[in-house]
Amino acid sequence: MATKRTREALEEPKGDPVNLFKDVSDSDADTDSEDSVYSGLEEEPDTDSDNDNEDADSDDSYNSSDGRDAEKDISSIPLEGGSTDSDRDEEASLEKAIDIKAHTKSRNSGTAQATMKTESSTPQRDEYESDSSDEEDIRNTVGNVPLEWYKDYDHLGYDVEGRKIIKPKKADELDEFLNKMDNPDYWRTVTNKMTGQSVVLSKEDLATIKRLQMGKHPKGVENQYEPWVDFETSEVMIHPMTNRPEDKRSFIPSKWERLKVGQMVHALKMGWMKPTPKPKMDGEEVEEEEKFYMLWKDEEENDITKKYRARIPAPKIPLPDHYESYNPPPEYLFTKEEEEKWRNQDPDERRMKFLPQKFDSLRKVPSYPRFINERFERCLDLYLCPRQRKIKMNINPEDLIPKLPKPKDLQPFPTTQAVVYKGHTDIVRCIAVDPSGQWLASGSDDKTIRFWEVSSGRCLHKLSTGDVVKSLVWNPNSAINLVAAAVSRYVYLINPGLVDKLVVTKTDSMLESIKPGDDAGPSKKAPVEWEEIGGRDYEAGYRFKLSHPKEVNQVTWHGKGDYFASVMPKGDSNAVMIHQLSRQRSQNPFSKSKGLVQCVLFHPIRPFLFVATQRYVRVYNLLKQELTKKLLTNCKWVSSMAVHSGGDNLIIGSYDCRLSWFDLDLSTKPYQTLRHHKKALRQVCYHKRYPLFASASDDGTVIVCHGMVYNDMLKNPLIVPVKVLKGHSVTKDLGVMDCVFHPTQPWVFSAGADFTVRLFS
Amino acid sequence: MAANTPHVQVRFFTKSSYSVPSTPFSVPADVGTKELSSLINSVLHAGSGETTNVDFDFLIDGEFLRITLSKHLDAKGQSTEEIIETEYVERHPAPKPEDTLLHNDWVSCIQGGKEWILSGCYDNTIHIWTMAGKEMMTIPGHTAPVKAVEWINIDNGPISSFLTGSHDQTILLWSWNREKNEVDCINSCRGHAGSVDCLAVNFPKTLFCSGSWDRMLKLWSAELTSAGDVDDDEDENAERPKKKKKTGGKSRQTRVPMLTLEGHSEGISGIEWLDDSTICTVSWDHTIRLWDMNNAKQKALLQSSKVFLDVSYSELNQQIVTASADRHIRMWDPRVSEGAIVKCTYTSHNGWVSSVAWSKENEYHFISGSYDNYMKMWDTRSPKVPLYNMTGHEEKILAVDWSIPSLMLSGGADGHLKVYQYNATS
Repeated sequence: MATKRTREALEEPKGDPVNLFKDVSDSDADTDSEDSVYSGLEEEPDTDSDNDNEDADSDDSYNSSDGRDAEKDISSIPLEGGSTDSDRDEEASLEKAIDIKAHTKSRNSGTAQATMKTESSTPQRDEYESDSSDEEDIRNTVGNVPLEWYKDYDHLGYDVEGRKIIKPKKADELDEFLNKMDNPDYWRTVTNKMTGQSVVLSKEDLATIKRLQMGKHPKGVENQYEPWVDFETSEVMIHPMTNRPEDKRSFIPSKWERLKVGQMVHALKMGWMKPTPKPKMDGEEVEEEEKFYMLWKDEEENDITKKYRARIPAPKIPLPDHYESYNPPPEYLFTKEEEEKWRNQDPDERRMKFLPQKFDSLRKVPSYPRFINERFERCLDLYLCPRQRKIKMNINPEDLIPKLPKPKDLQPFPTTQAVVYKGHTDIVRCIAVDPSGQWLASGSDDKTIRFWEVSSGRCLHKLSTGDVVKSLVWNPNSAINLVAAAVSRYVYLINPGLVDKLVVTKTDSMLESIKPGDDAGPSKKAPVEWEEIGGRDYEAGYRFKLSHPKEVNQVTWHGKGDYFASVMPKGDSNAVMIHQLSRQRSQNPFSKSKGLVQCVLFHPIRPFLFVATQRYVRVYNLLKQELTKKLLTNCKWVSSMAVHSGGDNLIIGSYDCRLSWFDLDLSTKPYQTLRHHKKALRQVCYHKRYPLFASASDDGTVIVCHGMVYNDMLKNPLIVPVKVLKGHSVTKDLGVMDCVFHPTQPWVFSAGADFTVRLFS
Repeated sequence: MAANTPHVQVRFFTKSSYSVPSTPFSVPADVGTKELSSLINSVLHAGSGETTNVDFDFLIDGEFLRITLSKHLDAKGQSTEEIIETEYVERHPAPKPEDTLLHNDWVSCIQGGKEWILSGCYDNTIHIWTMAGKEMMTIPGHTAPVKAVEWINIDNGPISSFLTGSHDQTILLWSWNREKNEVDCINSCRGHAGSVDCLAVNFPKTLFCSGSWDRMLKLWSAELTSAGDVDDDEDENAERPKKKKKTGGKSRQTRVPMLTLEGHSEGISGIEWLDDSTICTVSWDHTIRLWDMNNAKQKALLQSSKVFLDVSYSELNQQIVTASADRHIRMWDPRVSEGAIVKCTYTSHNGWVSSVAWSKENEYHFISGSYDNYMKMWDTRSPKVPLYNMTGHEEKILAVDWSIPSLMLSGGADGHLKVYQYNATS
């Protein structure tokens, strides 16, 4: 019936609203879906609200059905269905009972109570009047307790207002029996235990019970599984289900999406999250590699291809010139003389291959007689042309020059003129510095020897010699204060008396104490005579006079200061004389002259004597009395010679503007030749302490060079010209006559033909 | 013109009485000292009608402005954008050449003392002059050129004393009676084996030291009479015939050194007492050595690369200046032994600088004499350009002296002893 009513409700929505809703909500539990269909709504919240409405409705119905007013109301309402009151009541109660029975499976408790519902007695309000399961508990408020607890009481429980629900008065056996006999409905009357009322089951109730007992649908629905009516069809309808405009949020970018994206971007940036790498398709690549290959790859490295690539093009044929034209400009045409000349020339020498000729028109040009020859020559050119690439060497000439240190880095060396020693009245030929460096002696063409204070330039002593002073040397031994001077045929030994008085007197006493050597007997006619000097000359400083047979050009001391040598270039076999101071003895080391001796030098350490002739320097061992070495100077005329304090290096100045450096360990040929002077070199000298050497020249300059000699035998000397010292003026084609280094300072003295001596510091 | 010449901001300040407002002035960058000086003058006289101009010198970062402002700033790498703090001082008046004292030979050494000038000459004589240029006395005595002269005492009474050192390897100690104008050679100090090139008397005037070409530094007593003197009159007679006349037959005694210090490898060319116990010597071996005389040993060594020719020590600023054979004058701080010991190099001379002397009154000033015939007056704050060049000598200058604050003395190879009057400002 409920189903029927539902149907009715579906078909006739105008039916009793209260009952309709009651039925729908309470009895038809399985029509929830239908419920939603009614509402016609798709969304959950709306469904909820609908339910709320429904609840509210049910509340209304409760209110309306609660109490007697409601009873009245209901009774007063004219029923459209046309059914009687009692009928309706009965129906409703039964319906209710069955309804509750139908729900027994889902509801835990109350089922029994519900089934026990009985019709309350007349004095009492019929509790089934309003059909609501919600009010069951209100009728008896004892709750879900066993009713046996009340069997000794005369009440069953309490109603809502706290009044006792009095047990209905039990009829006795007789009444029961009578009732059983009389009442036709007795068999279908049951007692509601909760209220103690008797309930008469209706036909429908019975049918329901019967159906339940048979295990059928309680409401007797024939077809439980009716076909589903798909209201929301899969087909797209023309009209929307709802005509609501789209929500605003569908147009607004999602705030949460934005946040999420922001977080991901941050994570990417920070590297917490790595973009998933694209899956590599290894298989495909391999396939691609296999698919293609370099056709010419292997041949690239081939020598032959390289050769072809470096192909040299064939020589080009020169482009035709104007004279080759059939109608050349008139200036190209030969005159008779030119033609004659051309014909007389050798074909190879001819500038033009053929005689330029003029034709009026191209068709008058005859066939070219030399065509075959030229083709053949061209073939020869192609065949015989040098098929070789010319490699042009681009070498900067400066790169070939060995890298020399800058003069600035080779300090100290003399750079500027510091003191000029003025006083001489003629060319100053020679200068010498005393071993302590305080005094300077100079010999001049004005027939004087002057002694100067180095620091101030003051001439403190002057000796007249009577002739031109050619050479002047200070004894290198600081304990003997002697100057040897070569004047004309004589060599004077002079004690200038300038240094420490003690040394001066010691020197004098030493000279006085020595006596001529015994072996210089009269049998041997010594070429050199020693002569002691007395009187005024002694006062002046002269001590000894050595008379030589010929003019003496040079004197030089041995490093120890006992021996000294003199050179007489014109003395033939007596050209070189060696004198011994301590024994007042002279000897000639050489029996034969080897040439015009220019100068001699003692080796600073070993007993060697260097003898420079015009072109050679011979090195003699004085102990073994033999020639040790002969140096080839490669110059025409040696003028001067100086030996390094180490003794292994020698420089030679020559009149042909050269300065040659010999490394005696290396070779007999010059290690290096410097040609910086423009005119003849007059003198060369080494510094005793600093790696310096200087050369004086007739061009008025002194060139100072850095000449470093290394102890390492494998390292060649380093020679760097560092300074050209100018100061002397050239007079009578003579410039600087002599130069000598200061013994302790990096200073050089130079004697000039301009009558001055200069100090460069 | 003004449009395309850059201007610089200059703020002037001074320690003298001539002060101008400290507001920066914008001046063209190519102005020199002269223009700036006239600017200051015009600012000074802005209110008053004064017209007396004072010459000023300008110091930028403690260095004298000698070229134009822009060039100076360029050389110093200073920015022209910033305000340049410039100190100005009254320009020192130029020394006036006052007198020339003629000698017969080269003047090798000079020293002024109080009112007298002592000079040594290459003709072996010693001369005493008054400040006015009158020759008091010519003293023969040495047998070789005199290389050094030094006053010991010119204050007490009429008797003054002085020392002379010579090429003859001796130092003579003289006493000079000013009233009678008599000199006596009291002592002959012997011991050196080379020419005595420099002498220095200590501050209490009790000791003197001498440096010689023989590399030795010797310390002697400077007392007129001293124990240990040896009478050696007779063996000196032959060498000093002239001496007898002057000294009136008084016996001359030989004095021996109290101390000999060895260390230099070449001749000593200059010597100075730094304090009562410290001697500074400069030598041809490129070194400056400081000697502690109490312990008789070398205290410090300053190495250079050039020959030293002279040294001077200033009590005012405790600096020494040295004259070198390389044309430069160098200022050293003897108290410093590490780092940049050369404080400044003064370069202007064209020849060897033979002699230097500090001013006794101004801590910034010194003079130098050179073989280029110039005497130069320097301010320590102007290393490139001297304050004044004093010409006059026709030959190289061998000695300069500034012992008398008002007189600058220079002696040279032309036999002249030039006297320059110098009046210090305020």
